[in-house]
Amino acid sequence: MAKVILTVDDSASVRQMVKFTLSDAGYTVIEAVDGRDGLAKLTPGVNLVITDLNMPNLDGIGLIKGVRANPASKFVPIIMLTTESADTHKQAGKAAGATGWIVKPFQPQQLLAVVKRVLG
Amino acid sequence: MMENFKQAFQDEARELLVELESALLELDQSREDREVLGRAFRALHTIKGSGAMFGYDDIAGFAHNLETAFDQLRNGELAATSDLINLTLAAGDHIKTMLDRADGRGTVDEQRTASILANLKQLTGSSDGPVANGPQVAGPLHGEEVHDWRVRFRPSLDILSTGANPLLLLREMRDLGTLGITLDTSGIPPLSELDPERCYLAWDMVLTTPAGAEAIRDIFIFVEDHCELTIERVEEEKTARAATAGPATAAASLRVSVDKLDQLVNLVGELVTVQARLSEVAGRRDDADILEISEAVDRLTASLRDNSMSIRMLPLKTTVQRFHRLVHDLGIELHKDVELTIEGADTELDKTVLDQLNDPLVHIIRNSMDHGIEIPEARRAAGKSPAGTIHLSARHSGANVLIRISDDGKGLDAQAVRARALQRGLIDEAAQLSEAEIFSLIMTPGFSTAQTVTSVSGRGVGMDVVRRSIEALRGSIDIRSKPGEGMTVTLVLPLTLAIIDGLLVRVGTSHFVLPLADSLECVELTSQDIKDSHGKHIAHVRGELIPYIRLGEYFRMKNARPEREQIMVVDTERGHYGFVVDEVLGDHQTVIKNLGRLYRNVQVVSGATILGNGTVALILDPHRLVQNVIQGMSSKTRRNRSKDPQNSTFKKETIINGA
Repeated sequence: MAKVILTVDDSASVRQMVKFTLSDAGYTVIEAVDGRDGLAKLTPGVNLVITDLNMPNLDGIGLIKGVRANPASKFVPIIMLTTESADTHKQAGKAAGATGWIVKPFQPQQLLAVVKRVLG
Repeated sequence: MMENFKQAFQDEARELLVELESALLELDQSREDREVLGRAFRALHTIKGSGAMFGYDDIAGFAHNLETAFDQLRNGELAATSDLINLTLAAGDHIKTMLDRADGRGTVDEQRTASILANLKQLTGSSDGPVANGPQVAGPLHGEEVHDWRVRFRPSLDILSTGANPLLLLREMRDLGTLGITLDTSGIPPLSELDPERCYLAWDMVLTTPAGAEAIRDIFIFVEDHCELTIERVEEEKTARAATAGPATAAASLRVSVDKLDQLVNLVGELVTVQARLSEVAGRRDDADILEISEAVDRLTASLRDNSMSIRMLPLKTTVQRFHRLVHDLGIELHKDVELTIEGADTELDKTVLDQLNDPLVHIIRNSMDHGIEIPEARRAAGKSPAGTIHLSARHSGANVLIRISDDGKGLDAQAVRARALQRGLIDEAAQLSEAEIFSLIMTPGFSTAQTVTSVSGRGVGMDVVRRSIEALRGSIDIRSKPGEGMTVTLVLPLTLAIIDGLLVRVGTSHFVLPLADSLECVELTSQDIKDSHGKHIAHVRGELIPYIRLGEYFRMKNARPEREQIMVVDTERGHYGFVVDEVLGDHQTVIKNLGRLYRNVQVVSGATILGNGTVALILDPHRLVQNVIQGMSSKTRRNRSKDPQNSTFKKETIINGA
């Protein structure tokens, strides 16, 4: 069965790129527009969460904390999208329980390599 | 596909610029509103991030500077002045012209870009360069030299809480090169203190790879805060290897006499038997200490067994390489042009098997050359290439090795074989035989179809000898042929003759061993199931209809049928078959002892073994058993009934050959 990936990003173009790249590689992709939407769409079937950090309503750090606080999803790998300039964000994300990160900008194959690393 | 993304980015960026503009205008009204500041920052942030991703490096670099300024604003390091707001509004318009240019409309005033950035720098007092665009995941660095790396990876106890999976990291290591892994379980606490959500394991690895330390470290980049990781290059070994290059090759292998090896295997066999007794006794005592020792001995014996067996393994190459010469010489003698092709020559077989395989193989090849492949003129007339081909292939299949010798000669004529067999009195006129059964007749003693006797294949005494040798190796032989197209002889041979992994089962008071390699699964058979199938010996196993053989009935054992029986589903040459037993006792390292001479015609039993309590269990050959039952049902007219074990009940305690 195809693995399910939840991509959480307020940028439609990033979501589209993530979705296209991962769908093409055989994953099933669910989209969410911010952290709050992401938590609402986090079903037990989700195998991986890819989240932006800067988002309205609930940011990426909040989402990661929310995912980890739920016993059903506490071991689900989470990849955060960060920018090089935001090392403090990266640290905060790691502290909150993120599994890995991708520095924006990134190429589709980089995304796939990281997804493979944490999801197999 | 990138074009689609670009359009999506264009649309999104324009929306974001509108959002930025409205946020900036609101900000002008209430300079301290953090919510509005956040909106402006996110707009710039997304334009930068997505821009870089879709190749708009100029926009990304430009937006980056603005984003930095707004980050400072958010953090209170900078005040939102009207100058800054106005400049940002102008910058937003400038980004719009940059988007237009990317869309193929208009041009961008580079001077304006520079002046906005210069003004921004003045206002904020700092400006970073454009975003670096380096790849995050480094691929293996392909150097020319291969190095050994010793990598120790000890994750912290809480590594799983980050969603990391150490297994995937090990797999990724394996992708870099040749990897040897040792698991360190010393950190595992007693069961009462064990928290299943924690990781107590550590791994020591030796990786041989052309990649550098960076590539290895990169694999662990996500977990570097959650593990102890040491990566060191193994230097000394390489230098040592270089220094002792000459003598080292001599020391790499050692000539040992076969006698010594046989002795070793015999001793291991004895050890396995003693070990079976030990576990039997330990199981009865119910003493945790003895049980632990017994389990340790069990594991050691198993690996000792595998090790000593592997010492005796030799590639088939050692035997079949000589065949090229054989084919060449025979070709000259017979005036035939034949090419021998060999596939899977690296397939390994027990030396004993290999030694006894040489003669049968030589015979089969000779047979093909003499009787199978035609002389060039006849081949041309038949529309074939004048040169014939003999193809020898070998491969592993479970605990067996499959060796196939096929030629593209004239093949066997089933009618001619049948007629010949009739003439020789080997079969009855009324016998209903399948094609495979007819072909197997050529392996009956005293059968020959060749019109002329040549010095090569002798007087047709060949194939029966071949069959006997293969069967002595507990192998089987199968002949397929199409007239005019050639013949294929398939030999199925066990990997080893001494010890196998078996499955111990019980029927009544008797024990039997089935080879584990052929066993697929074990399911229950209740009286209800039997009723449901209306007395037919057929069971439903997950949608598959599996015919079964009741071992108790087959061996004419008089014992009551238990309420619940077990079916062992076995993969045989003829498909999946079930063997019904009273109980499946578990796996059993089986030291094979030959049956005595008296029982050499008992085909369904391939040997016997001694159990831990000293009793004897027969080792069944599921393939033969199934074949035997099928033949028993299909041809009642077969004369050769003396070989049928259904007519010869036997007391197995008496048939072990001096074991």
